[in-house]
Amino acid sequence: MGRYIAGRIASMIIAVFLITTITFFLLHALPSGPFSSDRPVPESVIEALNEKYKLNDPVLKQYADYMKGIISFDLGPSYRKTGVRVNEIIRESFPISARVGGVSIIAVILLGIPMGVLSAVKKDMWQDRTIMLISAIGITVPSFIAAIAFIYIFSSRLGWFPSYGMYSWKHMVGPVVALSGFSIAFVARLTRASMIEVLQQDYIRTAKANGLSRASIIYKHALKNALAPVLSYLAPMAATILTGSFVVERIFAISGMGKYFVESVLNRDYTVIMGVTVFYAVLLVAFALFADIIHAFLNPRVKLGE
Amino acid sequence: MEEKTKMPAEMWRPIDRKITENEKTDRKKRCHWSDGWASFKRARLAMAGLLFASFLVLTAFLGPLFFEASMSDQNLKLASIPPVLEIYSLGQDNFAYVHREYKLIQVTEKGQILGRFKPEEDNLKDRFRTYSIEGVDVKLDYSPAGEGKDKRYILTVGQREIFPIEKVYNKTYLFGTDNFGRDLFIRVIYGARISLSIAFAATIVNLFIGVFYGGISGLAGGRMDEMMMRFVDMASAIPMILYVILLTLAIGSGTGSIVLAMGMVYWVHMARIVRGQVLSIKKKDYVSAARISGAGWWRIMTKHLIPNTMGPIIVAMAATIPGAIFTEAFLSFIGLGVPAPQASWGTLVNDALYGIGLYGYQLFFPSAAICLTMLAFNFISDGARDAMDPTSRI
Repeated sequence: MGRYIAGRIASMIIAVFLITTITFFLLHALPSGPFSSDRPVPESVIEALNEKYKLNDPVLKQYADYMKGIISFDLGPSYRKTGVRVNEIIRESFPISARVGGVSIIAVILLGIPMGVLSAVKKDMWQDRTIMLISAIGITVPSFIAAIAFIYIFSSRLGWFPSYGMYSWKHMVGPVVALSGFSIAFVARLTRASMIEVLQQDYIRTAKANGLSRASIIYKHALKNALAPVLSYLAPMAATILTGSFVVERIFAISGMGKYFVESVLNRDYTVIMGVTVFYAVLLVAFALFADIIHAFLNPRVKLGE
Repeated sequence: MEEKTKMPAEMWRPIDRKITENEKTDRKKRCHWSDGWASFKRARLAMAGLLFASFLVLTAFLGPLFFEASMSDQNLKLASIPPVLEIYSLGQDNFAYVHREYKLIQVTEKGQILGRFKPEEDNLKDRFRTYSIEGVDVKLDYSPAGEGKDKRYILTVGQREIFPIEKVYNKTYLFGTDNFGRDLFIRVIYGARISLSIAFAATIVNLFIGVFYGGISGLAGGRMDEMMMRFVDMASAIPMILYVILLTLAIGSGTGSIVLAMGMVYWVHMARIVRGQVLSIKKKDYVSAARISGAGWWRIMTKHLIPNTMGPIIVAMAATIPGAIFTEAFLSFIGLGVPAPQASWGTLVNDALYGIGLYGYQLFFPSAAICLTMLAFNFISDGARDAMDPTSRI
């Protein structure tokens, strides 16, 4: 177990390293630099800025410097926000994204999985049909449209919830609905499919024949095994949701990571783009490992490290 | 014994044709594909989705032939006119609609837009406008606006206040106009053209890269396969949207670059599916037979492996289209989409965002278009999956 995790962490580091490298060179291959803008700026100013941020160094030297920075958890200065370091941006914006994201993930788990289970158990009955219809709508409506519709109906027309900012639980409702809508629907469908498959297996029949209660069969025996595909979807989803959806944060004017990311892409703030990507990559691989460990606990047949 | 087996020569005659006819299978032979199609046809939602999608494609590509107006024709005087109008009668066959910006728009009784009335006096301080329409004095007093009352304006003809006579549909602009006075209906149809072409093109690019990458990886096997699949793992660990954004930034925004970027990013899923299929098929006897007969790897791949993987490929393709529509809408929404005055659905939604409180309809039509299309393609992809592979149903 310990050896397995150590190995996984090693491969995680390699993955993060590769992702960082690819992003770095992609960004530096872009035709225009971070300081070329529509406004007429004197050449000398751009030159000075390039000099200050060492953009005139050979690309490989810049790369080596950046990598050295990452090892000491320093993501460098922001090119566009003078005097702000990328670490500070992440430290400020991540908790905001994580709060909305955390609630969304809880919503996905607490709503999506039970909906899927109910749907599978009541297959082809009205409960199943209703849930499937709702989830079909859920996977159909893109998050930005859900967000706008929420603002239009609940903020603009009914005035129940505020439409921007993040100051109380009321501010949380809109972003959470928009962020989790698709995933709730998708998890419900995934759980249903996997649950239906598991419920047809022999050991469930054996359990029934042995006179186990319905609840015990569904929750103790079937669900445990049915959760495997759901888990492997939940892991990357959790990383995406935690780092904030670009659009949802933009629409609800939440200053989370997603908002900074889109902002940095649009004004080519290399270091912020890099920093957010590296951070996201770390979260992503960490969640994947976490999901594998939970998976092994749920299903003893899965041996870690084999 | 010998006596019995001997048959007299006259017994040797052909049997009645009718007896052989009885042995024939009456039912038409059905191959794998027609089987799948039959199952697809039974799925009502999938058929509805397919019908809707075909209708949409036809409208998007043939529709513009029937309209005179183009998607970029602006008429700033007639900006932001909704699809449903409350009209007032001004007497003498003159009808008017009061715009949200407190201007009188001349309409017919049936709801055709004729133009904007020119005010005699435009008093911004006391907030009223007066008109003289064929000798009739009309005054639009919008001073109550912004005081939180239900009534935002008072329209008087002579000294008498008048009230709307009826609600009519906008006959000139079916979906109303946007904030530049462009016909929203035409823009939604053109948007369909752009959104759908991008989605289809991206799916095809993704199909080619994914099928060949996965096919080669599966066929090669061993170390080569392992390395190629590691690369796929890497590619899928990267936030896709980031790379789409970076690529559109690198090659400039426009239809071509969006298609290329999405195609280059979304092939991963397809490659995995094809590789898995190829790995299991390539051990089959007919592939060995082909190899023994001297077929090269290219022939084996294109003649044997890929045709036999077509089912899962189609399923994966059908699932890619709604994803591509969504990504395109998303990219346009954050401003990395097609350049103006072209507009995809995502751009239309983004444009309408500024007038959300006043002109909800501008938001409604493109959003509804995106949602309905996604729904239709999701139904199609569900139907295709069930038809091709009855064991895995989500």
